[in-house]
Amino acid sequence: MTVLLTTLFNGISHGVLLFVMAVGLSVTMGMMRFVNLAHVSLCMLGGYALVVAMDHAGLPFLAALPLAFLASAAAAAVLEATLLRHFYAAEELTQVLLTIGVVFMSVSAAAYIWGPSFRPVRVPDWLSGHWDLGPLALERYRLFTLLVGGTLSLALWLGMERTRFGAMLRACVDNRRVAAACGLHTGRLFAVAFAIGGGLAGLGGAMAISLTGVDPNFPFRYLVVVLIVVSLGGMGTITGTLLSALAIGVADVASKYYLPAAGGSIVYLLTIGLMLWRPNGLMGRRSGHA
Amino acid sequence: MKKSIAALAAALLGTLTTHAPAQVKPDETVKIGVLVSYSGIGMLGGIQTDNVIKQFQARFGAAPGGKKIEFVRRDTTGPNPEVARRMAQELITREKVQIIIGPDFTPNVLTLAPMMTEAKVPAIVMGAATQGIVGEKSPYYLRTFFSIPQQVRPLAAWAKKNGLNKTVVVVADYGPGHDAEATFTKTYGDAGGTVLASIRVPMRNLDFSSTMQRIRDAKADAAFVFMPLGEVALQFMKAYAASGLKSTGLKLIATADIADESTLEAAGDSALDVITTGVYAPTHDSAVNKAFVAEHEKMFGRTPRVSLITVAVWDAMQIIYSGLEAQKGARFDPDKFIAHARGRAFESPRGPVSIDAVNGDLIQNVYLRRTEKRDGVMQNIEFDVLKDVPTR
Repeated sequence: MTVLLTTLFNGISHGVLLFVMAVGLSVTMGMMRFVNLAHVSLCMLGGYALVVAMDHAGLPFLAALPLAFLASAAAAAVLEATLLRHFYAAEELTQVLLTIGVVFMSVSAAAYIWGPSFRPVRVPDWLSGHWDLGPLALERYRLFTLLVGGTLSLALWLGMERTRFGAMLRACVDNRRVAAACGLHTGRLFAVAFAIGGGLAGLGGAMAISLTGVDPNFPFRYLVVVLIVVSLGGMGTITGTLLSALAIGVADVASKYYLPAAGGSIVYLLTIGLMLWRPNGLMGRRSGHA
Repeated sequence: MKKSIAALAAALLGTLTTHAPAQVKPDETVKIGVLVSYSGIGMLGGIQTDNVIKQFQARFGAAPGGKKIEFVRRDTTGPNPEVARRMAQELITREKVQIIIGPDFTPNVLTLAPMMTEAKVPAIVMGAATQGIVGEKSPYYLRTFFSIPQQVRPLAAWAKKNGLNKTVVVVADYGPGHDAEATFTKTYGDAGGTVLASIRVPMRNLDFSSTMQRIRDAKADAAFVFMPLGEVALQFMKAYAASGLKSTGLKLIATADIADESTLEAAGDSALDVITTGVYAPTHDSAVNKAFVAEHEKMFGRTPRVSLITVAVWDAMQIIYSGLEAQKGARFDPDKFIAHARGRAFESPRGPVSIDAVNGDLIQNVYLRRTEKRDGVMQNIEFDVLKDVPTR
């Protein structure tokens, strides 16, 4: 029983981390139908921002995390304004090729600026080790991830469902043309959403690198799993992305423990099965979109 | 007409006489292909290869045996056989290289074997560790790296000798991992130890908590770990530290990959007190090594750190230069080059080594090391040695 609960806990914390990294992509893909694979480069940038802030500016871990958010948000805003904005009307294949090119460029740029080796992250002592809850030994860092991710999920959900800004975003996701016809500044809305999504990517990346440190190949390691989470959850939905991220996280950890002979293929089998059942994702809707 | 013919004749005569051999010129240019990863997961190898070549030529000059040498670089981009094959074809047919340093990664080595044999191009493998992929696949292959059984067998024997009777085996789920698992299980079993469980970890793994849980479940004295060099080794070490397994008294024994200098800093304190078997540590106590490391750090700084791949490339250069010196004054002959290398013993920064006369692999000392912190830097400190370990 202890093992089951620990496995569940580990899976959920892994899933929440994937959610933080993927939610920005889900919103932008849902809103503008823009396939932005360079999202994972923003995750990497957040990781490097954390490392640089801690090593060179001597900031403590908790202070460096918001910095990772801001750095990635700024980079996302710049990327959108200078490059991606011109390709909203382009074919999906063009968008994919463009953004994967950006990913390759970001990998080389990171290798050039920061070197090809792993840059370690010094996680503070109060976040290392375990917290004993009865028979369970829960890793403190995972608890932290769960807390931050959980709070963010709630904040994002409230933001989407209960604020005017969220309503405007949801209108754009449903039908951009009609929303524009109703007088919403879709371009500006998208730029803000893109920046927030990029910032979250950076924050997720910064939290994900505590285990290994950050290196230039980070984007490729997470590209496939982030895309799976987004596709599975349904584009443009917060709850959908959260559900799929949790499902993938738990499935990944649990399958590797209980069915190790499957060699990690369970996650992909699950993805295929769920996509066949719900082609638009768990909570995606087939929208009449511009 | 007569005047112009005379002028032409005079000009020709002039060119002939002015090219009298007044100075000694190199008799030919030998092109050496460098086929390593300059991008992707192995990109550190590419950078270090270039550095070591520079360091070697700074000490030994650029014209061994009176021949001028020229390096042509191509990127294998990692364990990608199609790319490696394309690059090798380019090097051999278009650039006409006569020797190759590389390729790295086992899949590349296996794919290129027939090509090397057909083109008669000696290739020195400096980055792949699976057993039986050198001379067994092509008579033109040599290796300056290591072969997995070389490191696993001594470790299994040491474990049983030091009271670790029950071990859980944790390997990465790919060819070399299975190789290590089989070798360890056999040697350890023969020595009287018990393998309680065998865990295979998928290569693309973002979360290691399930592996750690299964190690915990096994309740063994020790965990034998084999992970490929680089990111997977690092992820494993960090996950191991985070899991709290260290405090349960479980002894971590592994091959050198887990404590390779390229990821040792990033692993940090989680990698302290790990016993590994390896063929090279920058702390190796020999005059040759001390000079090598000092020179390297002076030329390139302390990062990236000197590690096995640095020495593997250095030894490849030693073999090349020694082979070319032996063919001084004659046209380069690949068969003579291979014959000269096979069976040859020489001094490497890692210790005394020799090329196996039968399969071109490297017979070398294998050291037992413990990871410690010296002057604030994580190091592998050798405490025992097995001499001249064969490669199979």
